[in-house]
This record gives sequence, C-alpha cells and structure tokens, in this order.
Amino acid sequence: MINYLANPVRFLKFSKFATPIFGILALGTIIWGLYLALIKSPPAIEHGESVRMMYVHVPAAWSAMMAYTALTIASLVSFIWRHPLADSAARSFAVPGAAFTFLALVTGSLWGKPAWGTWWQWDGRMTSVLILFFIYVGYLALWQVIPERKRAARLASILAMVGFINIPIIKFSVDWWNTLHQPATYSNIGAPGTAPEIALPLFTMMAAYSFLFGWLAMRGIEADIVKNRKARDIIKPAATPIIETV
Amino acid sequence: MIGAILKRDLTLALRSGGAWLHGLFFFAVFIALCAIALGGSLNQMRPLAPALIWLAVIFSAMLSYPVIFQEDYQDGNLAQLKLSSPSLMRVTIAKAMSFALLSIVPLLIATPFAALVFDIPSKTLMATLISLILAAPALTIYGVLSSAILAGRRGGGFLIVLMTTPFLIPLLIFGLGAVDAYPESGLAALEFRALIGLSLIAIAVGVPAATAALNANLE
Repeated sequence: MINYLANPVRFLKFSKFATPIFGILALGTIIWGLYLALIKSPPAIEHGESVRMMYVHVPAAWSAMMAYTALTIASLVSFIWRHPLADSAARSFAVPGAAFTFLALVTGSLWGKPAWGTWWQWDGRMTSVLILFFIYVGYLALWQVIPERKRAARLASILAMVGFINIPIIKFSVDWWNTLHQPATYSNIGAPGTAPEIALPLFTMMAAYSFLFGWLAMRGIEADIVKNRKARDIIKPAATPIIETV
Repeated sequence: MIGAILKRDLTLALRSGGAWLHGLFFFAVFIALCAIALGGSLNQMRPLAPALIWLAVIFSAMLSYPVIFQEDYQDGNLAQLKLSSPSLMRVTIAKAMSFALLSIVPLLIATPFAALVFDIPSKTLMATLISLILAAPALTIYGVLSSAILAGRRGGGFLIVLMTTPFLIPLLIFGLGAVDAYPESGLAALEFRALIGLSLIAIAVGVPAATAALNANLE
C-alpha cells in the first residue's frame, strides 16, 4: 500500500478520491459530535456546563500527540529512504499538529478559568503541552530558514526524531517537577471510560479531529507536490544576448 | 585526530583576542541584571540564587552554541575535516570536547564567584556546582547538535534557543531538584542520578544525530 502510494503521480490519483472523503467525514463527524457534545450530553455534576469544553479540548490534545507521532514516522521514512513524498508528509503533519497544540492550550486555559479559577496552572499536563508547542515551532522554523528543500527535509527529520525521543523524558520530568512543587489540584474527569453519555460525544469528537487532521494533511501533501512540480517545471529563459555597441 | 582538532581549536581560541570569554562576560552581566531586577537584597535573593545561576549558565551556553560549527563550516575547514577523517563522528566528538573546554568549563569555574555575590551557603554552592558538572555533557551535546543542524545559517541565534529549549528543560528541572534534595540526601539524591542519565542519553542520541546533520550540511 505504502509502496504503491510512494509514487507522487499515483498518490495524487489516490488523494483525488481520498481527500474529499476525509473532508466529508470530518465535516459530518464534527457536526454530529458538536450536536452530541453541546446539546445532547448532560452537564457534569461537578463541573456544570463548562464540562462541554472537554469535548473540544481533549481531542485537540490527543491529536496534537498523534500528529507528532505521524511526523516522526514520516521523518524516519524520509531519513532512511530519502523519499520526497515523506518530506512533504512530515511538513504537512507539522502545521495542523502545531495548530492542534495551540488549540489544546487555548481551550485548556479557557476551561481552567471556571474549573480551577485561573487561566493558567503550571501543572504537568499544561506545561508539557506548552513544551510540545515549542518543539513544533522550532521544527517549523527550521523548515523556514533553510532554502534548499532536500537539505531542509533531512535536517528537520533529524530534529523531529531527536525531539520524539525527548518527549517522554520531558513529560516525565515535568510531571516530577509538578508533584515536587505543587500538588495536582484538578479532578480527573477528562479520562474516557466514564459514563456513556460523556464517552460517546468525546469519541465522536476524537474521530472528527482525526478526520480533520487527515484532510488537512492530505491537502498539505497535495499542495506540496504541486508546488514542487511547478518549481521544477519553470523553464528558465535563455540568456538574452548583450550586444555591446561602442 | 581528536587531539589535533582539540589542539587547533584551543590555539585558535587563545589567539582570538579573548572571543571565547564573551560567554563568561554574559554570565556576569546576567547575574548582575538579576540582582538589580530583584532589588539587591541578599536575603531575598539567597533562595533564588541556584535557579539564577542555572539560568545564567544555560543562557550563556545557548548564546555560544552558534559558534561551534559556524566558522569552520563557512571557511571550508569542516569539508576538509570530513575528507581527511576516517569518520565524521570523531570530528563531532572533538568539537564537543573543545566547546566544553572553552565555553562550559569557564562557566563552571565562575559559578563559585556568583555564589559569593549572592552569599549562598557552601552546601548549596556544592550542590549547584555538582548538578552543573553532571549536566555539562548534555548541555554540550545539545548545543553541538543544534549548531550542526544550523551550521552556516545566518541569524541562527533565536532559532537555536528555540530548538534547544525543549531539550534543556529536563536538565533545568532535575538540576534544581538536585539542589533542593542535596541537604537531605547528599550525593545519593535521585536527581543526581537522573542528571547522569540525561547526560548519557544526550551523548548516545546527540552525537550520531549531530554527525548526520553535519553530513547533510556537507552534502
């Protein structure tokens, strides 16, 4: 499957069908998920109506992690086989990944105000998501500063892989730091596997975010392929002869 | 090979008219700025001193990161070293060692003086110093890695800070944790072992990654 799709022409043929399917699925599940989350599901006993923030917050944080994992796998493929499509994929995973991380931070902060009484709490989860955001920004900035595409892809893949090895270390150290300095003050209602009327909208929204991520990534790869092709196909004008007349 | 590069880098640094001391001056400036910003009261600053010293070391190291490969990349020395060396990894290791000697060790030597300025007890100074020494390999290697990735890029300063910050956060956390734990459990504190672990991981992951990055930049 992956071997088959590794050819950009075949990939474009495949994505012609797959991308709209992802888009339609994303749109459908977002509408259905939001209906379930915002209208149908009951307010939580402890958190009241503000629990509805969870349905946009938890999937965002989860897809931010998923995006980084996908980015690392694409980077690994790009590093080992030097495949240009993997470069496009890695870069196209990073942009929505960074956006989801930012969304998770913003919604987490908005949820924090009613739940904890502050916009920001230096707890383990928020801090490690913030650091994940820094990693994404550093990765994207690296693409920006290196003009040669192949070299940029190779260096960015190295950075992404080292970053991936460091994520568990960072997570562990931040959790450890947090328990040392301030006890966790939040209740853990975000965990799935609770009541079905909460779990169903949560899982629907998770599926919706995944489809959205898939759609954005496919669009990104398509755009990247087209851009590369265009850059390659530009025919340089022949040098205009300069006739010196004295 | 490693010895020759080390000797060359040290000679170049000694003849550069003190450019290798800039990090040290930055360290002093940072400490002075902190003292001024905090109002200059020793009683207030004493509990913060280890954190400020750690920050000064980290920022000073970060600002000297771009220098590691920049010059050698731009004047073609690195390409020559790649051609003449049996493996590029030796060049990476040699460069890491010369960076540690020229930029990190002076900061470690300056730390007791910073402790004098903040008037912290000798036990806290001991803990800060040991935690910095144990973190020094990781501080060096992540700098070598980011410098190898950005070799020869102009204006890499901000980007290098952005790229290395996530890697240095665990060091900062465990380093200051070690300072906190030292009075009770001494050198047996868990945090010291964690710092050693972080340094070993940095060496295991960072040296090959930096070599790969150099190779990509020299292709």
